[in-house]
Amino acid sequence: MKSFDYIITDPVGIHARPAGILVKEVKNYKDSVVTLTRGDKTVNLLKLMALMQLGVKQGDTVTVSVEGGDEAAVCAALETFFKENL
Amino acid sequence: MALDYRKCAEEIAANIGGGSNIISAAHCATRLRLVIADNSKVNKAALENVDGVKGMFESNGQLQLIIGTGTVNKVYDEFLAVTGASAASKADVKAAAASRMPLWKKILKTPGDVFVPILPAIVASGLMMGLVEAIPKFWPAFGSSDWYSFLDLVANTAFALLPVLVAISSARVFGGNIFLGAVIGLMMVHPALINAWTVGNYGPGEIPVWHLFFFNVQQVGYQGHVIPVILAVLLMSTVEKWLHKHVPEMIDLFVTPLCTVLVTAFVTFTVIGPIFSVFESWVLVGAEKLVSVGYGIGAAIMGAIYPWTVVMGLHHMYNVIEAGMISNTGVNFWMPIASAANFAQFGACLAVALKVKNQKTKSVALPSSLSASLGITEPAIFGINFRFMKPFICGMVGGAAGALFASWMHGTDAAGEVVKFGATTYGVTGIPGIPAVNNVPMYLVELLIASGIAFALTWIIWKEDEPEKKAAAPAEAPAAPMPSVVRCAAGELLQPVAGKVIAREDIPDETFATGILGDGIGVEPTSGTVVAPFDGTVTSVFDTKHAVTLEKDGMEVLIHIGVNTVNMNGDGFTAFVAEGDEVKAGQKLLGFDSKKIKAAGYSDCVVMLLTNAEDMEGVECGLK
Repeated sequence: MKSFDYIITDPVGIHARPAGILVKEVKNYKDSVVTLTRGDKTVNLLKLMALMQLGVKQGDTVTVSVEGGDEAAVCAALETFFKENL
Repeated sequence: MALDYRKCAEEIAANIGGGSNIISAAHCATRLRLVIADNSKVNKAALENVDGVKGMFESNGQLQLIIGTGTVNKVYDEFLAVTGASAASKADVKAAAASRMPLWKKILKTPGDVFVPILPAIVASGLMMGLVEAIPKFWPAFGSSDWYSFLDLVANTAFALLPVLVAISSARVFGGNIFLGAVIGLMMVHPALINAWTVGNYGPGEIPVWHLFFFNVQQVGYQGHVIPVILAVLLMSTVEKWLHKHVPEMIDLFVTPLCTVLVTAFVTFTVIGPIFSVFESWVLVGAEKLVSVGYGIGAAIMGAIYPWTVVMGLHHMYNVIEAGMISNTGVNFWMPIASAANFAQFGACLAVALKVKNQKTKSVALPSSLSASLGITEPAIFGINFRFMKPFICGMVGGAAGALFASWMHGTDAAGEVVKFGATTYGVTGIPGIPAVNNVPMYLVELLIASGIAFALTWIIWKEDEPEKKAAAPAEAPAAPMPSVVRCAAGELLQPVAGKVIAREDIPDETFATGILGDGIGVEPTSGTVVAPFDGTVTSVFDTKHAVTLEKDGMEVLIHIGVNTVNMNGDGFTAFVAEGDEVKAGQKLLGFDSKKIKAAGYSDCVVMLLTNAEDMEGVECGLK
């Protein structure tokens, strides 16, 4: 399993739209199980509702974990995606 | 159809590997929160299909089953019974609900919160005690029978050891461990302490004292007290919670309970108890002065404040005054005042019982008023009158009137001696007091005045509070049901807000329009109220109150007001529901101010999406 930590910079946090594009991005990596952890809660990044309900805000530290598939590549791609979008 | 709580609990238990697999069980407003020893024994698929379980997820080792408001506690109770798991309270949930209230309201609410759960014990005891005390008045032989002494014991158990019940209940209210709470309560009525009911028999210096540091602690119990017990348990719960946070987990199990009990016991006996005792003796001296003030004004005032002393748990000390009166004059002229005060509370409570529509309140008020008529007013005061406050005050007025009348009934006998209107004994008021008084007709008139005034005032002044918002909301739903706008195999979604329905592709925002967030529709709103699209569960309400998610039969729905409105940070938005609420189709969810949204430069288009449309079959959007 590969993972990285990221501090959210988007002022509105992972709100409906960012959540939507994030889930869409994660859907590209069908072989991997990607999860996001904030505090004591972990959600599967394919679950839009779960992600939105988490209510991640600017300044929150989240941990994104990738399991299965080409872990290293997916992890790197997602880290770039987070930096660009969130 | 009503859910079979027992069956639901049994099925849950069966699918998590039975009671032995549970480390702890708690519940919040909507969820059953379980900590499971061996997760491999949990049959998740079966759990989700249990009738009554609306959803399930895991978080940080907790298995959370969404059951629903008003249901989860019942399932929880059955669950504890089925599995034998020990109760763990969800303190922060209660604290969160209470934190929105102003302080004075919280303080007033606390005695009620503490007393309501123990009412069954008090009502049973109160009624039995009143009856057991009344029978010997009519049939003196009964008073010396074995039955009397047996029934008396049964009846007064809850009262004699009231601090234990109060302490346990307080621990639940304040989120402390209920068993530690019980220890505090038991400690305060420990048999090794002098019973507070008999402390009046001891002269000064006869009461043994502990010398603890620079405190001299009288070894007297707190029988009949309420407030010091509540305060002691409040302290205990605070200490306990603080320790749980600060003591390393490894030693928490034994350090925390030990320190909690020790600190609480010490502070209770050295500070909380004595301060209260001093306060109590002031009340007593003041009370004695009061009733002797002329023209019955003093008596009237006493009649009015008497119930307050019941609230504070001070009233049992009046036995000392009453005993003093009887030994001095042969007549207890305190009793008619107490009786007026108590009977007025009966009148006020009866008015509530007859007027109230809420069945639950009615079912508490009726037996409570009956108990109050027999002179045991705690259920009526704490369960009803004091909670609603207005009946309590109306009762005070009635009590004052009755007491005033009683004070005018003191007369002179044929020989010119002053004969005080009163009773030959103490400890009985209300109906059981009838045989004890020296002027029965006047006593009946007095009771009639006190209860009549209290009843009439309560009937006129007190109004039942509006039923909860949730119950009222469906009635406010638009007369015409909303049309169906999204349909799939699992069900349909009704239009969430009045206005023109537009296709998803026409929503003025790329993210919504392209369907990244799911499939659905937009509405150009003509009203400012978003309503539920189906009978379902609110799974989340965004902090910014501009969006809500709902769930029903696997359909996950996002309703989002406007585009980019997250930036308005809640300004112009109102939430009528909270996470976990069960809603009916057409029930108000969110309110919004279109003008404010437009003024902020955003579109007010309301978007409703089936976010898991991909997993659904036969999804069809738009009006039929």
